[in-house]
Amino acid sequence: MNLRPSPTHTSRSGGCTLTGALSITTQVRDTASIIHGPKGCAHHNFSLFHATLLENEQTDLPDLVTSALSESDIIFGGEDALAGSIRTVCGRDVLAVFVLSTCIVATIGDDVEAVCDRHWPVPVIPVPTAGFLGGTFQDGVNNALIALADCTEPCSPGLCVNIIGEKNLEYEVEENYAEVVRLLTMLGLPVGIRFVHHLSLNDIPALGTAQLNILRDPSLVPVGDHLRQRFGTPYIPSFPTGFSDTLAFIGSVAMACSVDAERALGIEQAFQAEILADFADIGDSHGVFYGPDLDPENSKAAREAADALHIRVSGDGDAHLLPVHPVVGTSGVRRMLHRWRRAIHA
Amino acid sequence: MTGAAACLAGFDGMSVVIHGSSGCYYYPTTLLHAPLHGTFILENEVIFGSEDRLREVISGLINTGNRIAVITTCVPAILGEDIQSMLAEHDVLLVDSPGFSGDVETGYHKALSLLAPQTDAGVDGVNIDGVCLLDPFCRGNVQEIRRLLGMASIPVATVFCRDALQKTCAAATCTIGTNSDFSSSIGEYLGGTLGFATLRATFEKLGTAFEGSEIDPVLKELSKQEEETVRICDKFLRRFDPPSAVIFAGASYAEFAAQVLEHYLDADIRFIGLRNADRPSRYPSKQVTGLKEAKMVIETNNPDLVLGSSFERSVSGSRAFYGITPPLRGVVRLAPVPLAGINGTLFFMEGVLNTCMDNSRLHT
Repeated sequence: MNLRPSPTHTSRSGGCTLTGALSITTQVRDTASIIHGPKGCAHHNFSLFHATLLENEQTDLPDLVTSALSESDIIFGGEDALAGSIRTVCGRDVLAVFVLSTCIVATIGDDVEAVCDRHWPVPVIPVPTAGFLGGTFQDGVNNALIALADCTEPCSPGLCVNIIGEKNLEYEVEENYAEVVRLLTMLGLPVGIRFVHHLSLNDIPALGTAQLNILRDPSLVPVGDHLRQRFGTPYIPSFPTGFSDTLAFIGSVAMACSVDAERALGIEQAFQAEILADFADIGDSHGVFYGPDLDPENSKAAREAADALHIRVSGDGDAHLLPVHPVVGTSGVRRMLHRWRRAIHA
Repeated sequence: MTGAAACLAGFDGMSVVIHGSSGCYYYPTTLLHAPLHGTFILENEVIFGSEDRLREVISGLINTGNRIAVITTCVPAILGEDIQSMLAEHDVLLVDSPGFSGDVETGYHKALSLLAPQTDAGVDGVNIDGVCLLDPFCRGNVQEIRRLLGMASIPVATVFCRDALQKTCAAATCTIGTNSDFSSSIGEYLGGTLGFATLRATFEKLGTAFEGSEIDPVLKELSKQEEETVRICDKFLRRFDPPSAVIFAGASYAEFAAQVLEHYLDADIRFIGLRNADRPSRYPSKQVTGLKEAKMVIETNNPDLVLGSSFERSVSGSRAFYGITPPLRGVVRLAPVPLAGINGTLFFMEGVLNTCMDNSRLHT
């Protein structure tokens, strides 16, 4: 019997659960996150979040603490170091403490949950991570969102729409949020909480009050399912990614919330026509798509825009390199078209 | 691990493999801006062994003609696999440098010692050391010291660690430094290049060591620029009080900054928070590696000016800030700015004076 299944079909570049989970827990204000592992893991993530937050004009740094495991902790066990870190952090002005474990801790077998279950003055919430041994970056995101959702109780739904699982490390996170808010506002729907983006722990009980959840992308479907099971809230699986998808998104949200979509659809179609007219100067050109995120959704949105402008897309001859990045809504396509104009006129 | 990668990835002709998960690989890759390879191991390989995966990655590199270095991360380091034996048929440099074994300098020095550089009395010129890809000033430092050595007609031998790999086998017998936190201990050390006084002393020694050298143009430029620095600092002091400063940096850069600020601006150096291990200093100093501690140091000492990384900038409040320590996030950096050499001190003083004056205007 073959006990070594080939990992050929498993992605090796899924990233670290720790980073994914931290991208969520560090967005909860008034809390601290403890990384149970060597200090290098904390430095790595802190540096990454620091850079990202600065780019998004968030100047307050996350409260990130490391248990700073040394070689002797690796040999004799790191639970005492973790308990010491929790004790120190509980002495601060925090409402809760998240504990995230690393791959080395999973390998040496520290019982993290048992340490978290001891009596502490504030809630100490273990988030299933275990570095790369716990899955991928996205698994870390999903596990952290589910762990946070489980901290709050079901309640009566209201009229608002919650935004679930924004990519907090994304360069355009605020612009993408603003685009979804614009679309919801056209439908007359108020936005509830951003679960989780720069949120207070005290805001999380509002999670169950939404009439609809909008997930950032389909990789969050396990979270959407969990929230539907726990709070009964239906969900839309993704932000819209192009012209036609934006119109479909308006229709889906309107149907889920029982509101009329006709006016919003009319405004959006006129907006899209205006954009195409603005970019008529790059029409009838010839280009080829490139970029690090050429997934089917992004490619579809790009292809649709190219077709609408009669841009011939093929790699032959003197094709311009047309950059493709993950776009959200109609405004996202417009930003991509500005990059195309720059490339074509370069 | 990151320190070891910063050392080895600086050499052309070296393929560096991070033996660990994708998450461990991304960190040095994004920080060093150098091509690195990774085994991207999965749980499967932790349970059943990583030999096949390591061989798969190595076999993709053996035809490049480069020497291969494998750096272990935390989990592979404790699995107990005999990686050296696994790769016995290849000339692989194995650096067992997991994150829990120490800091950046530890990894850097370990990797360099395993490379075992050799000096060769037949090689003309002087080595430059202290160059580490993690250092935001490393490109500028190399460029500036090469410029000054060129002015003095002294050939550059090997740059540790940013050079062709084969040049580590035949380094010159004397070395000058740019950042002593990353010193190489290769050849006779003739001195550093941080600050005018140190630079002058080092070039005087170089003038003695190299018969055909012409250090006068360097000393002349040095004197001229020092005079200009004195003039500008004097003008600043006619209008503003000397800054009181707290510095967060590695020992080498921290000592340089403190001495220069004190010498030219009569600054009050209230505290040095060392990034690396404690080192004797005539200024009050101790190792500070946590942000809470850094914030406390700043609040306790209440300086006008903070030097450090963008971490310290975030807890400096409305104080003047100048970045000399990685990471320097939130700013665009394109040009190779030095801290070493003549231009290094000029860039440093220019930055400090501008930030102090801007800050002073904001508060009046």
